[in-house]
Order: sequence, then structure tokens, then C-alpha cells
Amino acid sequence: MFDQQTIIHVLQVSLLGGLIGLDRTALGQFMISQPIVAASLTGWFLGDAVTGLIIGGILELIWVLDMPIGTFVPADSTVFAVSATGIAVLGAGEPGNVPVMGFSLLLTVIMAPATMYADQLMRQRNAKIPELVLGSTGLPTEASATGWHLAGLIAFLLKSFMLCLGLVTCGLVAVKWFIGLPPFLHRAMMLFITFLPLLGVASVSRKLSFTTVDRTLVIGFCVGAVAVQLLHIPVLAAILLAVASGWLGERIDGR
Amino acid sequence: MADELRRVRTVDLLGVFWRSFFIQASWSYARMQSLGFAFALIPVLRRLYPDRQEFSARLAAHMDYFNTQPYMASFILGAAARIEEDRATGRDPGADAGEVKRSLMAPLGALGDSFFWGSLKPLAAVIAVATLFDGSWWAPLLYLALYNVVHIGFRGGLVFAGYALRGDVVALMARFNFAQVARLFKVLSLAVLGGIVGTITLWRPELRMPVPVPGITLASLTIALGLAALFRRGWSPLKLMMGLGIVCLLLALGGI
Repeated sequence: MFDQQTIIHVLQVSLLGGLIGLDRTALGQFMISQPIVAASLTGWFLGDAVTGLIIGGILELIWVLDMPIGTFVPADSTVFAVSATGIAVLGAGEPGNVPVMGFSLLLTVIMAPATMYADQLMRQRNAKIPELVLGSTGLPTEASATGWHLAGLIAFLLKSFMLCLGLVTCGLVAVKWFIGLPPFLHRAMMLFITFLPLLGVASVSRKLSFTTVDRTLVIGFCVGAVAVQLLHIPVLAAILLAVASGWLGERIDGR
Repeated sequence: MADELRRVRTVDLLGVFWRSFFIQASWSYARMQSLGFAFALIPVLRRLYPDRQEFSARLAAHMDYFNTQPYMASFILGAAARIEEDRATGRDPGADAGEVKRSLMAPLGALGDSFFWGSLKPLAAVIAVATLFDGSWWAPLLYLALYNVVHIGFRGGLVFAGYALRGDVVALMARFNFAQVARLFKVLSLAVLGGIVGTITLWRPELRMPVPVPGITLASLTIALGLAALFRRGWSPLKLMMGLGIVCLLLALGGI
């Protein structure tokens, strides 16, 4: 079903997913594993940066505040980002295919419970490591503590690698089927992509504010809309104005 | 002389800082970051306890249950280094780092979760997404830069602050008002979010509606607020995405 080139790409993307996935919990937490970075890296790696940027931007907003607090393990948005980009780029056969992007996102996000289960399984398995370090004497050596602790990295890498491998392989099969479907379904996926950022905005605002209609958000909206539509100011300048309005509101509130 | 040899040096604390990036490498439900904490403290323990038996005993003592926000762990690591130094040099032979670890991990965890995960991360993310929707390819780099300047700065600084303050968290709070800055970051994030929706007509072409819709800007705000209301009613992102997929299918069937 897959030619040799595709198989190599699938393995490369999965390895990339495994490496980037380390940043999620086990190593550094520099936020390279955040969808906006992980998907963009995958897109650049496969030669279609735009697809990676769009998928990453959308997923970032939706999952940015799903936090790993205490024993709670959130859905693995890194795996979604890398796999969805891999599927969209390798499956579409052309850069920037929006309907395939939408379909890939839908496919990977459905697997959220599986990614959470895999993470939980990994962490249960890790519970044995301290006992191995302590050994029968109960006195660890520097070498055993270092060796066993860092072995955890391999386990985390393998977990993300396997998840990406499974998702991308299945996803490519599904995309082949999707491409042959009637045009209205492709149009539905185009609409899906346009609505998802709004879902992301809702997801972030819900967690940052106690009210559904947050005053600062509405002020930012008004400033942004007036700046670009009436004053024809560039978007980034409009966003800066929105930030300034938020800051000003906070200062006035503080008094 | 022996006391001088047993003093923690800057290079040891830098070693702890470097190793703090690996603190969650073997994270588990049973002991969480316990082994990571012990692993990160090795440069200090190596300096303070040249005797192998003593070193192993102290390493084992630091393998107790431990969990906090990984960045804030740096402060506790610094404090533990100072307490171990006091113990090893005989300044305070009965000093127990375990007590400080147990008392600090929960409050610092809550503080770090709220500051780093709950305010800095969304602020960096929404700024990056705003630049991305405008069509800038460097949005991911901006995100990494905005986030990591603060993250790495804090992580390094907290090791040394923890050592200097011997884990005095009140003194740390007096130096930096985490809660106030977190609140400001959240407000700014919401303003940027509003700005993102307000500039929807200029989003990159792939994200624009396939057909021109009059009043799209106001409609977008209404949709976003409607979705936020559904979130508040307990809908998960996954459920809402599925629901949105079905709505889009119906719209496409209707000819939009």
C-alpha cells in the first residue's frame, strides 16, 4: 500500500514525534512539544511549513491550558500535532491542502483517550525504577541512579514514537479514502478548519476568565476590529493596541 | 580546611541547574519526581560527601516521594543544597532537607502551575498564534523566545535563590509577586484573544471562510462566546470538535 519513500517518511515523522515528545514531560519542558512548535517543525521537515503552521496554531489554542497538574495526565497534543501534520503533508500529496488538514486533525484528536492511556501506562511502569535503583542494599550508587533515571527518557521516547507510528500509518490509509469522497465533504472540512480557531479562543477564554463574556476580551475584540476595519492598521499593530487596552483596563481596575 | 572543601561551589549549583532539566525523566505515579530530585542533587552530594557510604545514604534520603511544578523544583533543589551543606559542614548537623521539601512542594507547585502553566504559557501562545494567523512564519520562534526567556531565567535564578534563602519562600515572594504578574499575564492574554477574533477578516487565507459572510467579525465573536458557554457547561474539547465537525457537514450539505 505504501511505497518505500512513504515508509521512510512515516518512520522519520514518528522518530521526530518521539524526540519532540520528550520535551513534554521528561526533558526540559522548553515548550518545543507545544503544537505550534511541534507541528511547524514537522511541516518544515516534510517540506510543507504552511500545513504545519496552520495545524499547530489551531491545536495550540485548543490545548494550551490542558495542564499536567498533580497526577492528571492531559491528552497528548504533541502526538496530535506531529501526526496530523504528517498525515496531512504525506497524504495530500500537495502543499496546503486545507480539507485534508481538517480531516487529519479530526482523525488524530479522536485518539485523545488512547494517548492519555499510553501515558498513564508508562508512568505506572516507571514506578518500578526507584526500587531498581535502591537494589537489595537500599543504598543507591551514582551510576545506578543516573542510569535508571535517564532510562526513563527512552521509555518516554518510545511511547511517543509508537503512538505517532500508529496514528500516521492509519491516518494515511484513511486520507486515501477521504480524497475519493464527494466534494461536499471536502467543503465541510474546509469549514471545520475555519471554525476551529474560534473553538480555540473559547477554550482559552473559558480557562482564563470566570465569566463567559469577559470584559477584557470584548475590549480587545473591539480595538482589533476597529483598528483593522476602520483605521486599516496592520494586524500586528492592532494586536498591540488590544494588548495596550487590556493593560490600561487592568491599571484602571487596580485603582 | 575540611569545612572549606565541603562547601558548595557555584559550579555545583550550575550542575544542579543543568540536571534540573531532567527532573521528570523517570516520573511515576508512585514517587513522581523523587528520583529526578536525587539525580539533580548529585553534584552537590558528590562535593559534600566524598565518602561513598555517606553519599549513598544521602542520595537514598532524597529519593522520598516528591512532586512539585518542575520549574519551581529549582528553588527547593537550591534550598536542599544549602541544608545539605549545613549538615555536612557541621553548622547544623541535624538539618533535615526532607522537612523543607515536604513543606514547600505543594505551595510552590500551586504557585508554579498558576504562574507558568496558567499565565505565561497562554500569553506566549496567544501572541504567537496572533502573529501566525497574520501570516508570519516565525510565530513558533517568537513563542519559544517569549516563553523561554522567562522559563530559563527563573529556573536558573531559583536554584541560586533557594540556596541563598535556604528555602525561605516568604523572602522569595517578597522579591517577586507571582500572583500579581500572573494576573496581568492573564488579562493581556484575554485582550490578545479578543484582538485575534477582531482581526478575523485579515487571517491568513487558509483560515478564512470559503464564502464571504456579511458581519463575519461580530458573528465570530458570538460563535466564540457560544462555544465558551458550552465549555462552561462541561463539554470537553473533543466533544466540541466532534460537534463542530457535524455542524460543518450540515452547512456543507446546505450549500455553504
